[in-house]
Amino acid sequence: MQVLENLTGLLQAGLDALAGLLGGLPGLGEAYTTGVRYVLPVLALLILLTAIRSLLGVRHTAEIWAYLNLEDGRRIPLTHWENIVGRQSTADVVLDHPTVSRTHAALIRSDRGDWTVYDLGSKSGTAVDGAPVAESAPVALGQTLSFAGVRARLQAISPEEAATQRKLRAREDRPIPPWGLLVLMTFFQVLTCLQLIVAEGGAVPVSLPLSFLALTALMWCYCLTLRAARQVGFEMEMIAFFLSTLSLSITASSNLNAVPKQFFAILAGVVAFLVLGIFLRDLDHARAIRWLMAAGAIGLLSITLVLGSESKFGAQNWLHIGGMTLQPSELAKICYIFAGSATLDRLFRKRNLGLFIVLTFACLGCLALMSDFGTAAIFFVTFLVIGFLRSGDWATLGIICGGCGAGLMVVLSVKPYIMRRFSIWGHVWEDAANLGYQQTRTMSAAASGGLVGVGAGNGWLQAIGAADTDLVFGIICEEFGLIIAALAVLCIVTLCVFSVRATRAGRSSFYTIAACAASSMMVFQTCLNVFGAVDILPLTGVTFPFVSNGGTAMMAAWGLLAFLKATDTRQNASFAIRRKNKRKSAAQRRAEEEARCEQPVPEPIGPSEPTGEIWDDPVHIPDWDEDGDDGEWHDPVIDFPDDGEEDDHA
Amino acid sequence: MRKIERRAAVCLLLAFCLFAGLALYCYRFATQGSDWVTFTANRHVYAQTGELVTGQILDRDGDVLSTVEDGKRVFHEDATVRKATLHAVGDREGNIGTGALTAFSDLITGYNPVTGSYTASETGNDVTLTIDAYLNVKAYQALDGQKGAVAVYNYKTGEILCMVSTPTFDPNDPPVISADDTSMEGAYLNRVLSSTFVPGSVFKTITLSAALENLPDLFDRHWTCTGSHSVGGVTVTCPSAHGDLDINSAYSNSCNYVFASLAAELGGSTMEKYTKQAGLMDSYSVSGIKTAKGTFTLAGADKGTVGWAGVGQADDLVNPCAMLVAMGAIANGGTAAEPHLLLDDETTMTGQLFQPGTASVLADMMRANVVNKYGADRFPGMDACAKSGTAEVGGDGRPHAWFTGFLRDPEHPYAFVVMVQNGGGGSSVAGTVASAVMQAVVDKY
Repeated sequence: MQVLENLTGLLQAGLDALAGLLGGLPGLGEAYTTGVRYVLPVLALLILLTAIRSLLGVRHTAEIWAYLNLEDGRRIPLTHWENIVGRQSTADVVLDHPTVSRTHAALIRSDRGDWTVYDLGSKSGTAVDGAPVAESAPVALGQTLSFAGVRARLQAISPEEAATQRKLRAREDRPIPPWGLLVLMTFFQVLTCLQLIVAEGGAVPVSLPLSFLALTALMWCYCLTLRAARQVGFEMEMIAFFLSTLSLSITASSNLNAVPKQFFAILAGVVAFLVLGIFLRDLDHARAIRWLMAAGAIGLLSITLVLGSESKFGAQNWLHIGGMTLQPSELAKICYIFAGSATLDRLFRKRNLGLFIVLTFACLGCLALMSDFGTAAIFFVTFLVIGFLRSGDWATLGIICGGCGAGLMVVLSVKPYIMRRFSIWGHVWEDAANLGYQQTRTMSAAASGGLVGVGAGNGWLQAIGAADTDLVFGIICEEFGLIIAALAVLCIVTLCVFSVRATRAGRSSFYTIAACAASSMMVFQTCLNVFGAVDILPLTGVTFPFVSNGGTAMMAAWGLLAFLKATDTRQNASFAIRRKNKRKSAAQRRAEEEARCEQPVPEPIGPSEPTGEIWDDPVHIPDWDEDGDDGEWHDPVIDFPDDGEEDDHA
Repeated sequence: MRKIERRAAVCLLLAFCLFAGLALYCYRFATQGSDWVTFTANRHVYAQTGELVTGQILDRDGDVLSTVEDGKRVFHEDATVRKATLHAVGDREGNIGTGALTAFSDLITGYNPVTGSYTASETGNDVTLTIDAYLNVKAYQALDGQKGAVAVYNYKTGEILCMVSTPTFDPNDPPVISADDTSMEGAYLNRVLSSTFVPGSVFKTITLSAALENLPDLFDRHWTCTGSHSVGGVTVTCPSAHGDLDINSAYSNSCNYVFASLAAELGGSTMEKYTKQAGLMDSYSVSGIKTAKGTFTLAGADKGTVGWAGVGQADDLVNPCAMLVAMGAIANGGTAAEPHLLLDDETTMTGQLFQPGTASVLADMMRANVVNKYGADRFPGMDACAKSGTAEVGGDGRPHAWFTGFLRDPEHPYAFVVMVQNGGGGSSVAGTVASAVMQAVVDKY
């Protein structure tokens, strides 16, 4: 407390001095703004292009979890936790044999490293060491599986190969060190904060610099703490922190007194991000609470429906608890994605989307009753993405789209005022005083900013209703310029592209589906927000992830980011992916190795053994010059922890 | 997993939509940004009351016609200057759509796509017009309270030196104009650029140009005007019987009978071809401000109508600015500079409005008009060439008085147009205004 008081006193003194200086030298503020409006876009370009390049440059090299050794000598690496065995070419293990069903079985590795085989209703059956599998059966390493008579042995990856693979992956997908970005971000935050103070002529409450300082501290603490825990990939968080900084500035611009609240929202968002990410480490836990999450989504929306109050634009989506206002529909998004994701075995055993469709319609119904059609559209698009990822079934989704279209028509005929808002779409300038009021002002203010903006706090768009949420893109364009605004949108695009590319190395479809759904949700939400404000789409009044002013929306955005973080399989890049201490796991592996050696070497299967060499050979290890690598490898800044801890390869 | 990997591509489709939309927005930002900025709700450049609060407007001599003082738009300190330059400069409320404050607002705000409309001290830009406030005052005073339009421009460079439209008002103290107040009818219109009027006899110059090129025996012909004749079954009258005429005297006496007969003989489509060629049916872009198009009923009309149209009556309507350019082209060998209002604009030339030979004959005959009819002493020391017009407007209204022409002098390459609405006689009323204005021009330049 004493520290905080001292700090506040210090900042207040600084502010007073600055106010005096600005009062004494009238040209100083102008000169500062003139300079800083060119510096900020340069900083933003450096920060975001570095982060974007690093994220898009990730090769998503698949990890090998085990091998399936076939009789014909082929040795098929299992590159996911969940693998489909079948005849069709899209199977992960293709067994091109007439008796094998198209989608024959699923071979799934649990979080703890145990393998299970699931028969997916194959014609000719599956067996483990000769014993037929009814529905599922555990498979130990070294056991022989039989898919309709095609035999294959599940073989562990040797510790040496695991180590080699780890090094190779780490070398290929080396995340950029966060320190340079952190320094640039700090500059960005300090300059933005100073600009806000200058724009107000020094007359700002001390909470403004304090909040910015707290955000900078939060960012450094986050990175230092995770770095101390030997984490290395921070690009996603940097993007989120950058967008959050914009959010703090925009909040300051529209309401100086709301800045601390917005900082605490960011803090809550980071906490939610960490909690959710750590929770997602354990796939079994994550799967187990899907029902709870589905109930949560419906519960949050129903509570709002019953207790919610009207917002200024007709949508009844706010909840007032004590002195706080919440938007539970934002949090319901996280629950919804949680409930919608599924592991592969489940997808192929229970192909229909029945319950998920029921959940979706319950959510859409609640949102329609709240007249929150923007959020309803976001849920629906997310549903389509999840539905397609899970079923790949265009026909069903087409029918559902048709049904929803018809439902929309009914809603529009019952509530014609919604149609009025749509009627102005495409020609807002014809009714700039009324229906096109917000969009025309957004475009006018945005154009006034040019490429570099008029300076944080110098805009007028913030005075328009809902500008800091629905028209936030306009405020960024006006105060920060088109460059930074476009970069902010490109960040969201990048997150989406990353999540899609990460499916290559995806461990479980649960993570893959959740990440794709979360990033699609962010992308669609950004589309509605940005394009609605500038009359490319009708104005629907949804938030820009991370940027819009609003506590719940900020928490939801960080929460959604956790789903993406859980797919970042680069070596030690994601805290949302469990690691084990290497020494312990090495000891374990040694024990396992010894145990395996004691086992009799399995007899070669089949009468002929033309490929016995590979079949019998424990592991063929590529010839890596491990020691030679180390010199180039040990970056003094990164200090890559390849010798201390590792991802869970047990 | 491989299946899901493929299906995940659908998310890329969404990401692409976001990217494409962003690209579309950037394109619109680049192409429409200046329009978006000049929106009266934009507080960077407009005050709450809708007036531009950045930028100055200067005349060609650097006189400040409009500036911003204490966040409020103000105009020249002299009330007469304010009224005389109102339509060139514009008003606070933006009622005068062709005024510089509205038409050039993107320049005044200092907007450019890189820095937006923001300048450190938010002062905007200075926009210098080609107008000379002094000449505008002279023209305004010469109009003496009558409704009308006066314009003078340099047909070699295209600079408009003088542009006055009346009725006018004081932009520092704008009146509330009621719909039935005829004295302020069309006060928000710049009659030079945005209006069209019955041309009357000034249009005979176009008919003459068509006749010169299509009737080889034109100079050998003789007519006897008795004051009333039938042309194409329609009676064409002259104010008085002009007696025996050749083409020179018919032009300077402005004989309706002769010119109606010539037009009827040439036919509607030939007449339309020459009218179009002279630029009277097209719109000019005066530093981006579109002028009103003239309208004529010629091609396909019966002989009587073509006859009346050939003397500038019937349904003919002409824009004063287009007439001004046609005058400049006659002076300049058939082509002239397109008029502009911004001093920084480059000179661009029109197409061939008249054949060079025709233009030279027309100029000689217009010179003869001044010498023989209007009085060379009204344009002392000037090689003035002109044609007057007294355009009947039907009903009880007095005719519009027109006086159009140019100085055939490389030192003073100026064309002029004067139109006094319901002013009466062309030479007597409009000619007097032209005389006063052109003397001021020659005295100063």
